[in-house]
Amino acid sequence: MDYSRLDPIRRRASAQELDLVESFAQGRISRRSFMKRATIIGLSLPTITAIVAACSDAPSSPAASGPAVTTAPGASATPAAAGGTIRVATQRPAASLDPVAMQDLGAYGMIAQSFEFLAALDQATGDIGPGLAVSWTPNDDNTVWTFKLRPGVTWQDGSPFTGEDVVESMKRLVVAGNAGLKGVIDEASGKVVDAETVEFTLVSANGNFPYLVSVFNAQSVITPASYATGTTLDAMPNGTGAWKLESYDNASGARFVRNDAWWGGPTPLDAVEYTFFAETGPMVTAYQGGQIDAIVQFDVFSGTALFNDANFTVNEAATTNHRQIWMRVDTGQFVDKRVRQALALSLDREAMVQQLFKGKGQVANDHVIFSLFPYFDEGTPQRTRNVEEAKALLEAAGATGLEAVLHVAELQEIPDLAVLIQSQAAEAGITLTPAVESLDTFYGAQWCPGEPADPPCSGAAELGIVDYGHRSTPDVFLNSALKTNGVWNSSQYGSTDFDAAFAEFQAAVGVEAQTAACAKIQANLNDEVPIAIPYTYSFLSGNAKTFTGVYSSALGQMFVSSASKVG
Amino acid sequence: MSATTTAGVPPAGAAAPGQAAERKQARREVLRLLVRRPGFIIGNVVIGFWVFCAIFQLAPYDAFNDFDLGHLPPSPEHLFGTDRLGRDVLSRIIVGAREVFIVAPLAAIFGVVAGTLLGLIMGFYRGLVDDIISRIVEAFLSLPVILVALLTLVVLGSSTLVVILVVGILFTPIVARTVRSAVLAERQLDYVTAARLRGESGPFIMVREIFPNILPPIIVEMTVRFGYAIFTVATLSFLGVGIQPPSPDWGLQVSEEYSNMIGGVWWPTLFPALAIATTVIAINLIADALAAATSE
Amino acid sequence: MRRFFLRRVFLSLITLWLLATIVFVIANVLPSDVGRTILGPFAPQESVDALNEQLGTNDPILEQYVRAMTNLVTLNFGNSFQSGQPVGPLLLAAIGRSAQLAALALILTIPIAIAAGLFAARRRDKRSDRAIVLLGVTLSSIPEFVVATFLVVVVGVQLGWLPVLATPPPGAGTITTLRFLLMPALAMAVVYFGYIARMTRAGAIEALESDFVRTATMKGLKTGQVMRHHVLRNALIPTVAVIGVQIGYLFGGIIGVEKIFNYNGMGQLMLFAAQRKDIPVLQAGAVIIGIVYMIATLVADLIIAWMNPRIRSEMGD
Repeated sequence: MDYSRLDPIRRRASAQELDLVESFAQGRISRRSFMKRATIIGLSLPTITAIVAACSDAPSSPAASGPAVTTAPGASATPAAAGGTIRVATQRPAASLDPVAMQDLGAYGMIAQSFEFLAALDQATGDIGPGLAVSWTPNDDNTVWTFKLRPGVTWQDGSPFTGEDVVESMKRLVVAGNAGLKGVIDEASGKVVDAETVEFTLVSANGNFPYLVSVFNAQSVITPASYATGTTLDAMPNGTGAWKLESYDNASGARFVRNDAWWGGPTPLDAVEYTFFAETGPMVTAYQGGQIDAIVQFDVFSGTALFNDANFTVNEAATTNHRQIWMRVDTGQFVDKRVRQALALSLDREAMVQQLFKGKGQVANDHVIFSLFPYFDEGTPQRTRNVEEAKALLEAAGATGLEAVLHVAELQEIPDLAVLIQSQAAEAGITLTPAVESLDTFYGAQWCPGEPADPPCSGAAELGIVDYGHRSTPDVFLNSALKTNGVWNSSQYGSTDFDAAFAEFQAAVGVEAQTAACAKIQANLNDEVPIAIPYTYSFLSGNAKTFTGVYSSALGQMFVSSASKVG
Repeated sequence: MSATTTAGVPPAGAAAPGQAAERKQARREVLRLLVRRPGFIIGNVVIGFWVFCAIFQLAPYDAFNDFDLGHLPPSPEHLFGTDRLGRDVLSRIIVGAREVFIVAPLAAIFGVVAGTLLGLIMGFYRGLVDDIISRIVEAFLSLPVILVALLTLVVLGSSTLVVILVVGILFTPIVARTVRSAVLAERQLDYVTAARLRGESGPFIMVREIFPNILPPIIVEMTVRFGYAIFTVATLSFLGVGIQPPSPDWGLQVSEEYSNMIGGVWWPTLFPALAIATTVIAINLIADALAAATSE
Repeated sequence: MRRFFLRRVFLSLITLWLLATIVFVIANVLPSDVGRTILGPFAPQESVDALNEQLGTNDPILEQYVRAMTNLVTLNFGNSFQSGQPVGPLLLAAIGRSAQLAALALILTIPIAIAAGLFAARRRDKRSDRAIVLLGVTLSSIPEFVVATFLVVVVGVQLGWLPVLATPPPGAGTITTLRFLLMPALAMAVVYFGYIARMTRAGAIEALESDFVRTATMKGLKTGQVMRHHVLRNALIPTVAVIGVQIGYLFGGIIGVEKIFNYNGMGQLMLFAAQRKDIPVLQAGAVIIGIVYMIATLVADLIIAWMNPRIRSEMGD
């Protein structure tokens, strides 16, 4: 440990940064945790590199394997032939491209071509990095975050990008009830300090705020201040991003062309053409037929041919994509926590990962602090299948011969998951009947019906499975799905212990404090089991080897601004 | 579908016992003709096989809970391989036969019964009643069956009962039209006039006089509808609004596995598809034989 | 003749009205929150309520019905609930695509099927006849999505002869478009071959056994002449009737094929609209499909009348 190299840095550091450096220097946190945390609080990459170098024998470079980025090999190789169009296959966006209201991966991907985030996806680390904001710092207790904006950015219509745009965009999201920002900021939080600085005063302390205005909160793109709520990209093409929307037809596809005024310089490729599909199978055949160069997302089954294709690069990234099996804790047959534990104990998680994802996933432990997070606490024992114990618990709770309907949506592998759960639970004496509905119907009828509106989701079904997309912080999961009166709280979980631990997590300064809070959260959720979470699965995307430099987030946003055609 | 009576036998009502005996003889004649046709025999063998499967469900593995490795190719242990979750495909097909032979016949029967009633009324009374109902029938016919079924199932949610009802209702107009033409042809014949002169009431004439004579085309229509029912239910399951998982319904199996063919996994799609195809072919063979036999 | 035509058109209009009503009833039978469906589960309740007001979904059902019917009559198809785009152009594009595919499918099927049917009728009950009938029955018994899947995997992927996506790139010439549409058209041709061939065969057999033909043959007219002049005309009557009905089916009934080839015809459009309760699209689409069906069967009946003078005079009543 070369403290001499560390000292200059320590002298310049803020209280938080100091804390973090100390933890790392003394080996209390891993290098990975340090780097993740450092990125969040806004330490620049050179600084991080210097610190890491100071704390190890060999000079190191930032790890290239991030949890949620998928990078094509040779990404930083010399740019090849300039020009060309990349043809991408993606899911048809559910509705129009409304940056505030969109909810599906198809739309996220489209919007991310033209619009950008304060914190973008760093291709090298897979974490967040400078985007429309070049740097950010918190104050000592994480209640005020200051963002330095990138100079020289203009909108595609020519007007300059200013702090006003940032403040207005965030206001719009607060009004719309954006899941990530709810309870974190309010309409008055954003303030333009000067031409290049914007400051956010949070409603309550939050150590992960930059994630909530990053690529990982897909709706937090920065739109012009004059964009009224409800404006869609296809109606008014604009943006600060590398690509200009040239045409959009919800039935067939969209076409973007190079934005010559992009701050990142001219893109090697001329254009991006999206073709919309209803299913993954035709996407794969389209690639095999030579009509598609890249696929935003596919699953293990339809992608079987792709794994063995020497001309196709498959990018597999561990994510926090998961399914929540919610159980109503306030009414119905799952009120007794022993019954919920019994159901969780009947699940054979390894088998599920194997059967549903051919092993391309990870077992989860009925709580939302996934092992990808730097503050994951290893102290919670992994729940494994125990049919005997499940039966005993059911008997103790007087629920032998339990029968229930398991509501699921027609989405990817979820119907199959329901079939597996039905079979596995049957061995513990629980009889479940799967009921499959289309996604739109399911959300409104089973998961979070509009009525009764207060508390939210209080009309949810007794038992069901809902999908959750990848997030780099658990804030959204904790806030919306599990906190008392959360907007997505279908299990109607209302535990003061949990709420306290969550508040502690949000206010926590420093990785160690966060981990301590998480230990409490994990233990609470694992014991009470308002939601059973059997696994997380990897995000699969890929492209033909005729293109390099393509990388994606796990939220369906495929970035081709530094991609180029090979030969 | 010819509505003519079998040759040489005068249409009978509640008349002389001699005529009843003649009718019985004619039926036996038809049966004899039927049995000679190879199409009829083959059709019945195939259907018989599937009905056997449906009733006894003698499958080598549990079609619901027996999970082996996913997508195993056909082998001595798994004659038709395993599906993506590792369930034996052969077992699922055998067990799935019951689903097919309950839902499809019920839908067909429902459609035929309703359609016959409607057709009888339309054809017999004619006039305004016929015109109005004909318009409604035409309206139903101008939309593809699949579309209306899909719409209804999306709105009402898919359950087996709803599927049966919807498919049955959608078949009613088609059957009604056929029955109507048959009735139109019959009502001009002498025996109907005779009955009317006798003072018989409308419903009586319909049921006791006309109906027995249009039975042959109805039977043929029922068989054809059965085939279409299997088709339609399979397509609805394929589109995701029919039978629900984890049912081993054949159409649902194809729907769940067809995209895997691209990866070279052909068996979980091919065999259920063949099951559907053989059943429908067999039914069509029987229907053709019936049609030919009753019109000779 | 003219009376027949006018009467048919009048009746068709009534049927269309009934059609639109049926679709309206189905789409509105359950109370579903249209605003919520469009904005999704995460939107705040106020926005949902505002949207519902705007769309008029809270008005009494009768009022909505009258409005929907008036709109249809004045060809004001409104805007899609889902995308906010006007329904008219959306439908037009989808119909255009369906029409292209339907045309190609019919061009492929009809000549071959009719030829096969006639061929079989002439060799009735001989082996070739049995073979053709069996082939027809078999092919028409395979669900179209199964045929489509096989074609995609074998011809499209393994052999690579034809593109697997049916939508040609924009601005493609006629030949390119044909290449792209060939596979789905083939899928449908395979299925329809059976129906049409067997109909032709049945009609030809009846014509061959008719007194007219027997007399003509006895009079010494050469077989070729007999076939061409009389039998063909009469054989085609049931065939044309079947084709008329199938055309309606080609516009919206082939959702399975469209799904596999990712082809945005009327089928996919309606499937999407049904799943998202996009009532304007559903209603307008249903009416359009109904109109296509009407026109197709009307034209078919006219052709039949022209071919058979006896029916022509019957139609006069």
